[in-house]
Amino acid sequence: MRRLIARVFLSCLLLCGTCLAAQTTATPATAPGDALLQHVLAELGQHQAVRADFVQTRANPALAQPQASRGQLLFVLGHGMLWQTQSPYAETLALTGKHAARIDAQGHAHPMRDARGVDRISQMLQSMLAGKLDEVLRQFNVTATGTPAQWTLRFTPKQARMAHVLENITLNGDAFLEGIRIAMHDGGSTDIRFAHARDAGPLSALERRVLGLP
Amino acid sequence: MTSTSPALKLRASLFAVGTLLVAALGAYLLFGRGQLAIQTDLLAMLPATEQHPMAEAAVQRLAHANGDRMVLLVENADDDRAKAAARALGKALAQHKVFDSVLAELPPFDLGQMVAPYLAHRFWLLTDADRTALATPGHDPARALARRLNAPFLDGVGTSLQDDPFGWLQHWLDRQPWSRSPLLPEDDLLVAHRGGKTFVLVTATLAGSSYDDTVQQPALAALASAEHAIEHDYPGMHLSRTGAVFYAAAARAGAEHDVHMVGWISSIGIALLLIGMFRSPGPLLLAFLSTAVGVIAATTVSLLVFGQIYLLTLVFGAALLGEAVDYSIQYLTARANAGADWQASTGLRQVRPALLLALATSLLGYALLGLVPFPALRQMSVFAMSGMLAACLSVFGLLPALLQRPARPLSAPPVRWARALQNFVSRCGHGRRGVRVAVLLLLLAAPGWWQLSHDDDVHLLIAQSVGLLAQEAQIRAITGLGNGSQFYLVQGTDTEQTLQREETLDRRLQSMVDQQQLHGWIGLAGMVPSQQRQQADHALLTPLLDHPDRVRALLANAGFRDSAIDAWLAAWPGTPLTLDAWLKTPLATPFRYLWMGCHAKACGTIVLPQGPDDDTLLQRAADGLPGVTLVDKPASVSQLFGRYRRYASLWLLAAILLIAPVFGWRYGWRRMPRVMAPPVLGIALTLAALGYLHQPLTLFHWMALMLVLGVGANYAVFLHEGEPHTVHRPGAMYASVLLSAITALLSFGLLSLSSMPALRDFGLTLLLGIGFTALLVPASRGVSADQP
Repeated sequence: MRRLIARVFLSCLLLCGTCLAAQTTATPATAPGDALLQHVLAELGQHQAVRADFVQTRANPALAQPQASRGQLLFVLGHGMLWQTQSPYAETLALTGKHAARIDAQGHAHPMRDARGVDRISQMLQSMLAGKLDEVLRQFNVTATGTPAQWTLRFTPKQARMAHVLENITLNGDAFLEGIRIAMHDGGSTDIRFAHARDAGPLSALERRVLGLP
Repeated sequence: MTSTSPALKLRASLFAVGTLLVAALGAYLLFGRGQLAIQTDLLAMLPATEQHPMAEAAVQRLAHANGDRMVLLVENADDDRAKAAARALGKALAQHKVFDSVLAELPPFDLGQMVAPYLAHRFWLLTDADRTALATPGHDPARALARRLNAPFLDGVGTSLQDDPFGWLQHWLDRQPWSRSPLLPEDDLLVAHRGGKTFVLVTATLAGSSYDDTVQQPALAALASAEHAIEHDYPGMHLSRTGAVFYAAAARAGAEHDVHMVGWISSIGIALLLIGMFRSPGPLLLAFLSTAVGVIAATTVSLLVFGQIYLLTLVFGAALLGEAVDYSIQYLTARANAGADWQASTGLRQVRPALLLALATSLLGYALLGLVPFPALRQMSVFAMSGMLAACLSVFGLLPALLQRPARPLSAPPVRWARALQNFVSRCGHGRRGVRVAVLLLLLAAPGWWQLSHDDDVHLLIAQSVGLLAQEAQIRAITGLGNGSQFYLVQGTDTEQTLQREETLDRRLQSMVDQQQLHGWIGLAGMVPSQQRQQADHALLTPLLDHPDRVRALLANAGFRDSAIDAWLAAWPGTPLTLDAWLKTPLATPFRYLWMGCHAKACGTIVLPQGPDDDTLLQRAADGLPGVTLVDKPASVSQLFGRYRRYASLWLLAAILLIAPVFGWRYGWRRMPRVMAPPVLGIALTLAALGYLHQPLTLFHWMALMLVLGVGANYAVFLHEGEPHTVHRPGAMYASVLLSAITALLSFGLLSLSSMPALRDFGLTLLLGIGFTALLVPASRGVSADQP
């Protein structure tokens, strides 16, 4: 059950990742009539591929001090993302929506069998890109605050089971996404800060291969 | 006449009393024992194909695990409407007592319930990936820990970090079937989203068997009214359904339709024919009386022998009317032909050889049918044999007392037509012309034989409603339910050996999944590993956890609090998970049926493959594994059909060889081939016609050909035995044979319109075979004697 929640979290977060470069030229009428939200999505959707540096800080009741990891993220519209952790260890994960894989030092992809939730991520990703916010809106109440230059989107779970564990997810940013914060009811939280977000430019052969680009 | 009357009357009275007693017994057996003794479970009439009784038991088990419930999928393009409709459907169904339980809205439960039962066993359960990683030389636990702590976006979502710092249990739980279901709980419902539509699952467990009439009908009625209501309240709603109850109801409806159609049309047809021929309603009533005696006896005997009647038998029984009526027709014709000289007992003596010979050939044919170890065919054979015997006996016992007075001769025009046809065929069938005609017929037939093919697919026997199959396929695609007809049975001497053997099978299945030949599978060993495997997994963790100081340092370095470390270390070593304990947990409920239990030195468990149903591929996974059998009921039955189809062609030959000496003895060896020719040629021409029609031959075609031989031989016998007594009325005897043939065609021929493919094949073959034989039969008599 919690696995399900994990899946939905992950899906949602990926979608928020999508916000890095979400294509929202056809923002649906079903989305909340929130001009700011529309604007934010439209703004983020102008970028086909985005690179950013990230710092992820995680607090958990079992941990005396938070864990921090840093690395680089490459997000490619409609294809997924590469999550490259550089410290405290070096590892690259490819999350394409069809499958999740660990990329080894030689550039070989090792499928992660326990990552079946990516099917759903892919589906949600595609529907989001097709301009359908329905999937997200079924799971979350979304509120947008701030200005187009400095905005905050807050996702609060609608489903009781999920709300029992997850408090909320907060996204903030300007022209790019600046941060994601996931707050849990048990006091745990994951905070991801992006820096140096920029259009990705040409992708390397490895990046194209593991993300399944032509 | 008056001298024989009292004896005949006494015999008739005794016969009538006997018939009434049999009828009363039959009525009691059919209606008097609670539920109607008509079996609508199509599985029940299939032969036992599996060598091991546990495999047959598993087939039954699976049929009922998936069988005694309705699986419903509510579909709507509007998400809210789909969910509201599913809730309304669940509430509407729950009001009916015919459902034991209805699951639409999920009961509230704590997420901890999914994890808590496993905490005591967390050091004994590993996924393949973790096992491989831990067994790899140079495995770095610090690295594994860091990966878990710094996983993108989320940590500890399945299990908490404190309970499961390395995520081993979380990985293991992720691999459990309930974590991989395509249906997700959403708004307290089980929901899937496909193509912009929302699908919501509702299941209703029946308060009895799907095949029980007192459950089936109310359940379907309840669903129909609930469906009607929600269709009205939630426009755009579409409901897909699957479950044995729907198939059973469809099969029953089809069979009832067939029985009514075949029964009524043939009864009316036969009635019109008889009235036309005998020009009086009396013979008609007597013919039906004799047939009724046959049907009553057949039903009673079948119930006594089998305890229940299959749908197939019921439909076949309706068609049998046409053959049972032959005996009384012969007697009635004899009366009509005798004119004013009629004496009931003399007439009986006159037809006796013909009737007994005809009965013998029919019984022979049906007895051969009964040799097939296939419950449905056996029952049809017993039904037919007892029915024919009773109908024939009624001619000897009952009819003479009721047919004391002479009758008018047969209607003239049909006799005239019959005579013309008889003369024509007879002339064509003799001398050099006869040889030419025979050669021509065989030349015409040869290309037809050339085009014969065969098909043993069991689905030819069981025609499942196309609509229901499509709905089932859709539900399977959306919910990920297995197909249920193919599975592995894994057996061992005890629980441990059984689970170990399943793990061996699982390794092969996993490699098939890796090669994308299979979507997945569901088996108990994935949920409760063997003790051997758990010991091995535990041993992989021992080097680390047997050194608490190292673990403590590792976790402390990673930032864990001392209290969390203490709690985790205190849980080591825990206990292995046992099958018995697991089966008692609520989580096991949906999977309990997979465990066949242990009987007489053998335990068994079912493994359900999911994905393409390629039989050879699935078989390869079981090859060479001790105790592992792929059970594929449809394929096994198809194979069995194929085997018996091949035997059946030999049996037909054997039957011809059996009848030949009987005819040789009665009609002389020189005339025997001519008497045998019509039925044998009839069979040959029927085969050719089936070839031209591109009808693949099945076991049922051959069974029907066996009847063609029996019935066709009867016609030859009737003609031969009767002609000497009707010299004064040329054509009358052949007219009576044609009458018999037409009544048979009316009833058997109508089977070719049946909803059951097996009966359709049967009916078409009989239609062709009896038709050809009846036309050819005049050729079996000499020309010179009758046509000077």
